Amino acid sequence: MKFKNILLATTVALSMSIPAFAESEVEGIHHWVAESEVEALKVIIDNLSKEGFTWKDSAVGGMSGGNATQALRTRLAAGNPPATMQLLGFEGINWAKEGALQSLNDLYTENGWVDAVPPQIERFLKADGNYFSVPINMHRQNWIWANKAVFDEYDIAIPKTWNELIVSAKKLKKAGVTPIALSDENWQVLEMFEAIVAGQGGADFYKTAIVGLDEEALKSDTMIKAFDTLREIKGLVGENITGRDWAVATSMVASGEAAIQLMGDWAKGEFLAKGMRPGEDFLCFPAPSKTPNFTFIIDAFGMFKTDDANVKAGQVAWAKAIMDPEVQAQFNMIKGSIPARVDVSVENFDACAQQGYADREHAIEEGTLIPGLTEGFAVSPEFAGVFSDVVAQFFVTEMSSEDAVIALVAGINNAR
Amino acid sequence: MSRSIPVKDRIGHFLPKLVLSPSLVFVFVGVYIFIAWTIWISLSSSRMLPKYDFVGLAQYVRLWSTPRWHTAVENLFIFTSLFLIVTILLGLFLAILLDQKVRAEGLLRAIYLYPMALSFIVTGTAWKWILNPSLGIQEVVNNLGWESFAFDWITSPTFAIYCVVIAAVWQSTGFAMAIFLAGLRGIDSSIIKAAQIEGAGLPRIYASIIVPMLRPAFLSVVVLLSYISIKSFDLVLALTNGGPGSSTEMPSTFMFTSTFRRDQMGVGAASAVMMLMTVAAIIVPYLYSELKEGGHEH
Amino acid sequence: MSTDLVSRQCYRLLGRLVIYGGLVVLAAFYLMPLWVMAVTSLKSLDEIYGGSFIDFPKLVTFDAWAKAWGTACIGTVCDGLKPYFLNSILMVVPAVILSTAAGAMNGYILSKWRFRGANIVFGLLLFGCFLPFQVVLLPMAQLLGRLGIAGTIPGLIFVHTVYGITFTTMFFRNYFVTIPDELIKAALIDGAGFFRIFFSIMLPAALPIIVVSCIWQFTQIWNDFLFGVSFTSGEASPITVALNNIVNVTMGRKQYNVDMAAAMIAAMPTLVVYVVAGRYFVRGLTAGSVKG
Repeated sequence: MKFKNILLATTVALSMSIPAFAESEVEGIHHWVAESEVEALKVIIDNLSKEGFTWKDSAVGGMSGGNATQALRTRLAAGNPPATMQLLGFEGINWAKEGALQSLNDLYTENGWVDAVPPQIERFLKADGNYFSVPINMHRQNWIWANKAVFDEYDIAIPKTWNELIVSAKKLKKAGVTPIALSDENWQVLEMFEAIVAGQGGADFYKTAIVGLDEEALKSDTMIKAFDTLREIKGLVGENITGRDWAVATSMVASGEAAIQLMGDWAKGEFLAKGMRPGEDFLCFPAPSKTPNFTFIIDAFGMFKTDDANVKAGQVAWAKAIMDPEVQAQFNMIKGSIPARVDVSVENFDACAQQGYADREHAIEEGTLIPGLTEGFAVSPEFAGVFSDVVAQFFVTEMSSEDAVIALVAGINNAR
Repeated sequence: MSRSIPVKDRIGHFLPKLVLSPSLVFVFVGVYIFIAWTIWISLSSSRMLPKYDFVGLAQYVRLWSTPRWHTAVENLFIFTSLFLIVTILLGLFLAILLDQKVRAEGLLRAIYLYPMALSFIVTGTAWKWILNPSLGIQEVVNNLGWESFAFDWITSPTFAIYCVVIAAVWQSTGFAMAIFLAGLRGIDSSIIKAAQIEGAGLPRIYASIIVPMLRPAFLSVVVLLSYISIKSFDLVLALTNGGPGSSTEMPSTFMFTSTFRRDQMGVGAASAVMMLMTVAAIIVPYLYSELKEGGHEH
Repeated sequence: MSTDLVSRQCYRLLGRLVIYGGLVVLAAFYLMPLWVMAVTSLKSLDEIYGGSFIDFPKLVTFDAWAKAWGTACIGTVCDGLKPYFLNSILMVVPAVILSTAAGAMNGYILSKWRFRGANIVFGLLLFGCFLPFQVVLLPMAQLLGRLGIAGTIPGLIFVHTVYGITFTTMFFRNYFVTIPDELIKAALIDGAGFFRIFFSIMLPAALPIIVVSCIWQFTQIWNDFLFGVSFTSGEASPITVALNNIVNVTMGRKQYNVDMAAAMIAAMPTLVVYVVAGRYFVRGLTAGSVKG
């Protein structure tokens, strides 16, 4: 009895000390906790506050957004969703199908957003005929970052095929330079693998094998060859790769200790922070490929259903702030990505971002704008997990490419 | 039971039960209702969200066809047995050393005990560096001049699990030591003196007389360490995140990943049920014997 | 005779050497992570990225500590760990008191007021100690939502109390079992009631185990991350969640010195508890809880 009373008393006392939802407040869960990410976020928030709303920050970092996702799930289970949430990959689609997200159709049509976003990303914005989220940016995953001085010194050309890349890398290895800065962290290895698959197989193969999970394609020689290539890459990454942070790997390229790194465009910030300039001190070019692939990741915000008119008004303001072309430009200049909208001027962006923007236009036309596997846009998490398991295990053990393909097919079928 | 105090007629037997019931209700809901819920989910087709249908044992079949789960189960056995053995031996060793009327006992005890106070959220990064061959122990020893020295278990799919054991031992030995020390302090010192007079050396006295007397301490250490090892979760996440590859996956991380990262709630629930069954297989016989004895004593 | 004495002394000396040698070497092993954290927190970021991890800092600076405590950013909120430190205190104090109080009462009843099935009840409670907490996240979230305390510190207090009771009950029950029943009988004859006996006989005798229970609960609850990250967000987060948010940067540069300083700040209270109360911990264990 006593116990219960004390609990009750504490509960009442403490809940009074925590302010209830203030008026005109927009609460959002996101996983942007790095300094540059927060600076970028502030651009949207500033725009939001011009409309008279305050931002209530519920950042949850870690696990590439995994902790934030978990926080969201328990909050929805408790019937206490935030106003908005940064949605990754398939997360938004699932919540939309569950009916937890507001339809943004009116906003999309009124403001002409439908044509402002690339058709290839619609899958992550719209489900069952309803738009459910607004995208702020697009990251490109299949970038290669190179140290220009190293390239010049050893007379390396920008590789057009994976074979060329490997030949050059072997040359660098002989000269005592670490050719490729990589870690054995599962996601970093998977990024390399997906770039190889998309590059050697082309965008159509990628769409069939990875996005479509077609068993024949998964078993095909192209897939075996991709594993072979990854095995060759492993011999070219130098020593002590365990647990190497991606940013540490980037520093290795920046300092000339290593020649190249395959990483999404967030790596660019590391070079810029060191005062290095694209084209002069470091190079950015797409991973070698048959077709002009652009592997994308987007950050989009969904709005959870609520009866509170104040929160609803805040959600509208938040969506508008995100889709504001000027906000998209400012945000992405800081974040290192490019605007999700296709009609924003990128004049003031750096050379790499401008190239990315131009490459995307081209990729949209060619149909080679393809969803990233590692960050969960190509397939839903249960399948992405299988890719990650098999590829990482292949990378750290002596598994043969044939066995890897068999394990991949078995794993995918088991997860279906 | 028959010897318990005859109070029922005086206060009425309802009061103790009444006082006990609120916490019982909460624990019953928080443990057993939730376990029942988990079993139910494990028989359903749940993916991202709970779904209350029935698919039989399909999720268990799926679970046992997942290579990562096999790794996790293997690791649990390797980890638990090594962790228990090393922690108990080292904890006992430390307790015996500390029991030799050493100077600065308080300080030393605090040093051995403090890891227990820290979570791996806190010490994970430091451990990662220490075990990393290019930053930690190997590098330091190499720089001291012993250049062939290699300590790179963390990079090896076969040996990385032993690194997890090392960190876990580091965290828990102090606790084992404290319990053993408590046990040693409870032993009459005249026993040692008597044995010494008979000419037995200290090591022999400990091996054949003292240690057997610590049986209750051993039992509680085993129980508490099993608790720690089954729940070892943030340890693995902070140290290796299951890697290299999936070579340090444990059932607890497997379950968490399946449920919250891979939208396979049904598989996650099935793995949780497997874990609970393992725990029950160990704990229930122990509880049974302990409580039966307890009943006789009082 | 005399040679025997010398060899005996040699033997003794050797023994002492082994004892102190062993203790010191192991102490160094145990202190290693703390050392790494401490020196890193006192370095500048440039020095760390320059490749120095375990060495003593060339230039000692407390900037990282100041930043971790007061100005480090979590999302757009740049208040450091300070507010979350307070949250953790607000959470841990009531939760430790509640779970220890309930455990003491339960232990008292289960050892001295046995009823039919008391042992089964105790066994069921004990089994709860071994529940992997990842299992309960979703149903618990639903329960907290129903109770209207989701996403709040009281919600966390509730969760920690419920799962703490299993442990505290075990501690107290095993301790109270060693107190002779005759004491209770005598008190009953003197006319003392259920609560009187608890407060004037059991509790005063239970001091050592109260200390054990409080230390155990304090450490468990303070260090919890799983419940914290699942059941709170934003300004109600406990310190471990805030620490994670500062440390676990995905797409940016890691500030290792601030991370380590933040980690040490987060660990300070439990460290202090163990160092200051460590002796009572051992004493409390000696006093009887050793019976698993």
